[in-house]
Amino acid sequence: MRSKIKNFITDLDRFLFSRSHFEQLAIFRIMLCSTLFYIACFRQMNIDQLGPNSLIPRELALSVFPDFYRPVVQWFFWPDSYVGTVHMILISLLFLASIGLTNRALLLVTWIIHQGILNRNYAMLFGADVIGGLFLFYLSFTKCNECYSVRRLIFKSESQIQKPVDPISSAFFRIMQIQICVIYMYTGFEKLKGNSWWDGTALWTVFANPQFSQYDFKFLSHVPLFFAGATFLSLVFEIYFAPMMLQQRYRNIWLSAGVLFHLSIGILLGLMPFSMVMISTYVLFLKQEMIHKWINQLSILFKSIRRV
Amino acid sequence: MFNKISKLIAGFVFFYIVAMIVVLGNGSSFMGRYFQDFFNPIANSIGLNTTWNFFSPDPAQTMYLRYFVIFEDEYGNTTADTVEGFYPKSKDLGGDFRLDKKRDSYAMRFLAVDPYRIEVFFTPWLCRKNPGATKVQVELIVNRIPSLDQVIAVVNSNINDYDNILTTEQINRYIYECPHAI
Repeated sequence: MRSKIKNFITDLDRFLFSRSHFEQLAIFRIMLCSTLFYIACFRQMNIDQLGPNSLIPRELALSVFPDFYRPVVQWFFWPDSYVGTVHMILISLLFLASIGLTNRALLLVTWIIHQGILNRNYAMLFGADVIGGLFLFYLSFTKCNECYSVRRLIFKSESQIQKPVDPISSAFFRIMQIQICVIYMYTGFEKLKGNSWWDGTALWTVFANPQFSQYDFKFLSHVPLFFAGATFLSLVFEIYFAPMMLQQRYRNIWLSAGVLFHLSIGILLGLMPFSMVMISTYVLFLKQEMIHKWINQLSILFKSIRRV
Repeated sequence: MFNKISKLIAGFVFFYIVAMIVVLGNGSSFMGRYFQDFFNPIANSIGLNTTWNFFSPDPAQTMYLRYFVIFEDEYGNTTADTVEGFYPKSKDLGGDFRLDKKRDSYAMRFLAVDPYRIEVFFTPWLCRKNPGATKVQVELIVNRIPSLDQVIAVVNSNINDYDNILTTEQINRYIYECPHAI
């Protein structure tokens, strides 16, 4: 019994703290923060909806949340009249985070402003805002600037990098992996509650809805099995995402399918930022060697382009 | 020693957050309600307590708000032409890559869920945008997307017949007083 407990603790220790996954965290930071930067740039055009002329008055901003989901903390600490300036600061911070000129404290400040902006007008939230914000929060506890960052370039050369294991980074890396699996799992389960998903016609409703669809797909009604098949595959992909991530053999196949799945959603339904947030999390499931291989290939490609 | 303490803290945080992620993935369940006091203050503040339901349980129908801004004096006489508008402006067409326009669509869906939201948020907002307005009439227009079976039965002979089986409903038509006019 005692040895079993000891083995469990050793396994847990290895799972949580054996490696810090700095490479994965760095690529994830670049993808996530640049997507949030892009979203924030567009949000600047809706800035009137976050200020004194917003659809949701400031004093009612938190009361629009259902009781069960209402935040305890009001993160939007700035007066409404300053929202333009605060939002520009957020855009700048997200840019700095994308290039890796940030640190844990600054990332946490970035997240607080981001969350404040989201809380200020709950009516206009995208899925990408919510999921992106959540991952930004997790990311702010990690040392995601250890690799592929301007900060690293300025303060220390790659050869000087010492990479001791950082327990906090490592634990939050695992939390992010679990979070994305749970998101997919519950998204799949929720869909099973809907008649149209169970019936196999949900994607028809999505593609025939001009408010979602970027193009007119009604001609596809001549191939109705396309919708039935795609609806079924969407369910299978989401529900089985978590088990497939546990299987090293199928992980890359599932991730490739996920990239295809999300790129299709992004292009056909105009939800590219959401797709990019979801795809960025896939880096957390890639092996370090694979990232090294890709980075090397990219640098060779860039060198050959420069030579040309 | 320091490494052990930081591991212990990180381990505790890991188990707390993972439990929160798993339980609040279905927060309205018994488990979610049972652990409400333990998880919600933190989960709600960091944005973790969210239902993960994209296009579910069923994808939404095409919808938009149609409104008339009315200008009247104290005796009910019209003082200016009634303004007709739609929210979002693009009505039933949302096919646009521009995120700022998409946000209006999302806000409309937030409002459409509950007429109370139209009264408390949308009406005062419209009144503020139209100085002198006294009333606002708002209705929700829903274009019900025909089922795939209907489309196969009717449309496959001629795709132009699609518009004939598309049904439009006008629901929740109410007149609201502008707050400053009451």
